[in-house]
Amino acid sequence: MSDLTNVNFDNMTAAQFEDYLPDLFASGDGKVSHDPRFAVFLEKNPDCAALVHDLEAIAEHAKSLFEPTEEPADSVWSNIASKLKGETQDLDEPSGLIEPAAE
Amino acid sequence: MGQQGLLTTPPAKPNPGLFKRNPPIAGEAEAIERAKNGDADAFSKLYALHKRRVYTLCLRMLGNVSEAEDMTQEAFLHLFRKLGSFRGESAFSTWLHRLTVNLVLMHLRKKGLQLVSLEETINPSEDDAPKRDFGSRDPNLAGSVDRVTLERAVASLPPGYRMVFVLHDVEGFEHNEIATMLECSTGNSKSQLHKARLKLRELLRQPEALPPIEGSKEVAK
Repeated sequence: MSDLTNVNFDNMTAAQFEDYLPDLFASGDGKVSHDPRFAVFLEKNPDCAALVHDLEAIAEHAKSLFEPTEEPADSVWSNIASKLKGETQDLDEPSGLIEPAAE
Repeated sequence: MGQQGLLTTPPAKPNPGLFKRNPPIAGEAEAIERAKNGDADAFSKLYALHKRRVYTLCLRMLGNVSEAEDMTQEAFLHLFRKLGSFRGESAFSTWLHRLTVNLVLMHLRKKGLQLVSLEETINPSEDDAPKRDFGSRDPNLAGSVDRVTLERAVASLPPGYRMVFVLHDVEGFEHNEIATMLECSTGNSKSQLHKARLKLRELLRQPEALPPIEGSKEVAK
């Protein structure tokens, strides 16, 4: 990965900046736009500033995907319950499949 | 490229505690202990509590409803058999997610999708790779991205990119954890994540071109 110890961030090229980005995003809090080391560079390079803004926004939006939206079909539980029937006495009830509990 | 970014203000953050740290769910600890002793009702409660999150994770990783349902089934069967080894050293949902991720990865390896061990296999083809086009950006990139659009864009990512993006940015795993799970280097994980975000940026610039997720209900929130 990139060695950033001796890099002059004020005078790097856009291509160099992009090469460093994976490490920069992975370090600290991942907020390159808040890092004072890049303030001058980003001020002088609006394209890079827009890129950083977009990538940070994508990462931020991704967190909203953590909450699930999708529900498995009822057959998934039916299959689980019937397979477990053979594995445990408890699940082997006269009524056949147990119903999934309400959340 | 214009100075205006592709995405405007991010949506309201979910409860910060839900990301990386999973708070205890009411009744979960008791259900776990009862399920460890073979209580079927308790296990069905655990299923009810976690089915959507496990299924959504499988769907995102696999991009296929049928396979996602199969893997959800496998994950809970595996959970039932392994529940006794859960010691409570991490949040139960974190433990269950890890178990699910490992099962999905095993499934993909069995299918012959070598997305993890070799650089060239985790990397998509050049056509799929994000373009490096500093200085030639479309000036009309305004607009926010809603959840459904982002879901579609994530589903359109090449498998290797999608896997790392989902594990890091959605599920909150660290690069060293992802590297272990995917049997790649930490640097590779960082690089793949960056490429995934670049590719997403490209995809989100043309949201109308994104295909709907096959078989998904696509619930907008």
